[in-house]
Amino acid sequence: MNGENPRQIGARVQRFEDTRLLTGSARYIDDIRLPNMLHLTIARSQMAHGKIVEIDTSMLEDSDFPTWVFTGEDTRGLALRAHQDYPEMQYSEQPLLALDTVRFVGDPVAAVLAEDPYLAEDAAELVFVDIDPLPVVATMDQARDSTVPPIFEGWKNNTFIERQMKGGDLEAARQAAAHVIKRTYRNQRQTGVPMECRGVVAHFNDADRVLTVWSSTQMPHLVRTYIAEELDLPESRIRVIAPDVGGGFGIKGQVFGEEVLVAWLALKTGRPVKWIEDRREHLIASIHARDHEHTLEAYVAADGTVLGLKADISVDVGAYSTYPFTAAGDPGMAAKVLPGPYTIGAYEATFRALASNKCPLGTYRGVARPSAVFSQERLMDEIAREIGMDPFEFRLKNIIRDFPYKNVLGFTYDPGSYAESLEKMQALLADDIAAASASKQSKDKRIGVGFACFIEQTAHGTPDFTRRRVPIETGYVAARVEMNPDGEVVIGLGLQSHGQGHETVMAQVAADALGIDPANVFVRHGDTLTSPYSVGTWGSRGGPLGGGAVHMASLQIADKLKAIAGHLLQAEAGDIILADGKAALANDPSRSIEIRKLARAALRNLDQVPEGMTPGLVAEFSLDGPKDGTYANAVHAAVVEIDVPTSKLTLKRFVVVEDCGTILNPMIVDGQVRGGVVQGIGSALLEHFVYDSEGQPLTTSFADYLMPLAPEIPDVEVHHIETPTPLTPLGAKGLGEGGAIGPAAAIANAVSDALGTEVASTPLNASAIWDLSAHLRSA
Amino acid sequence: MRPAAFEYHKATSLEHALTLLQEFGEDGRPLAGGQSLVPMMNLRLARPGHLVDINGLGLDSIEERGDVLHIGALVRHQRYFDDPIIARRLPAFLEAVHWIGHPTIRRHGTLGGSISHADPTAELPAICVLYDAQILVASTAGERRIAAADFFANAYVTTLEPGEMVTGVEFPFPPENNSGAFLEQAERRGDFALAAIGVSINHDTSTITSASIVCAGARLVPTRAPEVEAALVGRALSAPEARAAGTQFSENINPVGDHAASADYRRGLIAELTTRAIERACEKAREHS
Repeated sequence: MNGENPRQIGARVQRFEDTRLLTGSARYIDDIRLPNMLHLTIARSQMAHGKIVEIDTSMLEDSDFPTWVFTGEDTRGLALRAHQDYPEMQYSEQPLLALDTVRFVGDPVAAVLAEDPYLAEDAAELVFVDIDPLPVVATMDQARDSTVPPIFEGWKNNTFIERQMKGGDLEAARQAAAHVIKRTYRNQRQTGVPMECRGVVAHFNDADRVLTVWSSTQMPHLVRTYIAEELDLPESRIRVIAPDVGGGFGIKGQVFGEEVLVAWLALKTGRPVKWIEDRREHLIASIHARDHEHTLEAYVAADGTVLGLKADISVDVGAYSTYPFTAAGDPGMAAKVLPGPYTIGAYEATFRALASNKCPLGTYRGVARPSAVFSQERLMDEIAREIGMDPFEFRLKNIIRDFPYKNVLGFTYDPGSYAESLEKMQALLADDIAAASASKQSKDKRIGVGFACFIEQTAHGTPDFTRRRVPIETGYVAARVEMNPDGEVVIGLGLQSHGQGHETVMAQVAADALGIDPANVFVRHGDTLTSPYSVGTWGSRGGPLGGGAVHMASLQIADKLKAIAGHLLQAEAGDIILADGKAALANDPSRSIEIRKLARAALRNLDQVPEGMTPGLVAEFSLDGPKDGTYANAVHAAVVEIDVPTSKLTLKRFVVVEDCGTILNPMIVDGQVRGGVVQGIGSALLEHFVYDSEGQPLTTSFADYLMPLAPEIPDVEVHHIETPTPLTPLGAKGLGEGGAIGPAAAIANAVSDALGTEVASTPLNASAIWDLSAHLRSA
Repeated sequence: MRPAAFEYHKATSLEHALTLLQEFGEDGRPLAGGQSLVPMMNLRLARPGHLVDINGLGLDSIEERGDVLHIGALVRHQRYFDDPIIARRLPAFLEAVHWIGHPTIRRHGTLGGSISHADPTAELPAICVLYDAQILVASTAGERRIAAADFFANAYVTTLEPGEMVTGVEFPFPPENNSGAFLEQAERRGDFALAAIGVSINHDTSTITSASIVCAGARLVPTRAPEVEAALVGRALSAPEARAAGTQFSENINPVGDHAASADYRRGLIAELTTRAIERACEKAREHS
């Protein structure tokens, strides 16, 4: 699978992009400066819900510098539309600038431009917006209450959509159960917080009539298509470039109204326009995540077999449906993945997306799976406790062992190492489990061990998207590989790399197929002009599908090189091996020719190629994912120490056993896992976007919105098991998101163990630990 | 997150600074380390029309002046770590510095800036109140001194008049037999305190002769515990009353509750941290006696 000379795939190749990123030569969106450029500040609603009575911009006329201002009247008809094609879905759209109603604090109201970013911010303060307040939907309970007026006219309630998924005979499972265990679990609203906020620059060039849009996005082609459709332009005249992007984590895996707005403003004003989002704006008005509530009911046989699971899933998705994954993205994903790695034979989920006067919810690393795994793995611990089984033994009893496995919803799992991972983790934690047990003698200092076992569907193919009926219909990745006459290779990658290390990994993959050094492979990405159409970087598909596409395209070039080498060496192409920059006979390496000479032949000295061979060394391959995807699996474990009198929690240890199939670059895999775990620790302990009862955001800076910092994070231990999948060309499964999926569940289980009490929600900040440990103080 | 327009003035002398501050009144602010003022300006929560940069004025000595330690307004927090007098004579002060923000904040932030900002969770205002410090204030009208207890009027509000500026702080030395401790709890290392407790005790070989206790983070200003302090006088240095004192303080103080921590949790935290701080101060005292 790894080519004939697999020395690069699996090697610890240092990241090529790091030189640029670590020495300050990376170029981000704010580094783009064009002559004559205007700077945009977006005046945003300061009220959560209300009718716009008046937008008075007359004070701008008195300012002593030039300004431009546009409101919803100017952009009427332009909107973000993210509808799911189900009759149950209530239609909504978000105008680029509010038309007559604002629906969350941060809703764009006016676009204000000036020739300097400071002046633009001053000018935006001069826009006076008179808003008549409307009742605010500020909580999930209010959103679920059918007597609360809907936030969209014509809606019957505040539910974007409610649907069901089911499989197996749940009633039979209920009848056969010796134990029925029901719990409700809650995960807080948070956000993803890339280091670089959003930003867009747009410029229309009169000479070639091309609109160039630079955006800090994970999906340049989708941005191009959306702008083209909304502004009625041919896609051939739009070029979208994602320059260096300072983190995305899914937050930038949506098309935003601001991207269309800035493009429209550049066309309207005839000048380049730049919008750089600030941190406060990013926290209140980009994309929020999680905000789930799950009520689960498990039907368990006397011997500990989980026979069936019933789920009721609510997600507060905020004021608008987001593009392209829609309001139903999170609740649908939670419903789909809750059966998890267990042999549950009957399942029924009701899931709904609720509208509220809050920032719209979108994708963030893990997408619903951190919440689903939190609920699933908290419940598994509670069941084990109730029926008196060890939590490891209970899971091992229910774990899937035979592959391929068709799950209760009809999804087929490819081979993984579920039981093996659990057993390995059990061994790794033996000492901690003993210490935790001993600590139960103390009321003051408690140690707890918790773990979470999960699978992650990655790299899923088109059918999985078709089923969802969302604006994104597919998830393939394309790559174009081209060898130049000097033997150097350029890859036009449909993915966009915002930290993943694609410039290195894809070079490794191509290098193996072509027998060259990865340093001779230049990976271009994030530019619709240089990369074939793809849907962007998200959904843990860069390695399996992007790597697979590069591999397949590279093999086409390798075949051609071998044919030329065979011709020149008077041997069969099939006997040629490409390695170390040479094409050589497998059984006689002394007979060889340099690959760069073959490239020169293919592109220039065509008299040297076999008769009839077409000139050129370029190949393109678009790789769709397997129908049900390929399932990565992992077990995460946390060891916590809690100082009960002060509620101070210390994370003593965090251990990951993970299986992402073939490992393409171990350093990058470890980095991905650790980065994800750190974000998961944030979800578990700290990060909480808080609104008050009027829908006013309370955590609008890093003083209040708390991310995990180095002192809070232990060294994350990562252990690997490799079960290559037969479903992708390199045997790789996705792993970008997995690190973020397990920590909330593992840490909550550890806290539950430490305090000897149930844990039903996150974040487990000091106040939460205080409330959870009341029984230890009173005793 | 860009500040509103302001004019920048580089003061060349204290007199120059005071003249400028007098001229600008409410619209002028001294700029020292900028660790609180500049973020507030970027958020447009503060909009001074004029910034008077006082960084070149000296005001950065730490010196014994008879029975007080004088610390200039421009002394950066990092300096305290290396100061032998503070370590020996004001032990709770030194412990508090460890809880101030992060290295960058400690290298830039100043004493005058911290107390003028009057963040209710900040360590140095609490230390001033704990040690009954005198705040030295100057304006074009002259100098005056304000007792720390009278300096902090409300959250982010002091009794400084427009045109006035802090030039230094005087900490009266406690007697030689003094011990102290400062404990804090925050969600993350370096965060705003959920609650912080400072304790300073004077003692003989076996008993507490007088005590000061202060709490930051629980109320709008640093809060002392006079009843608890009085109750500790004459008690054994083995600190058997520490828990009772902690409980008493937590019952008296009536802390605020907000989204960062409930009032109930803060009360519990105050009880525990007070207990531990008294025990710690007494333990250090026993080691030294």
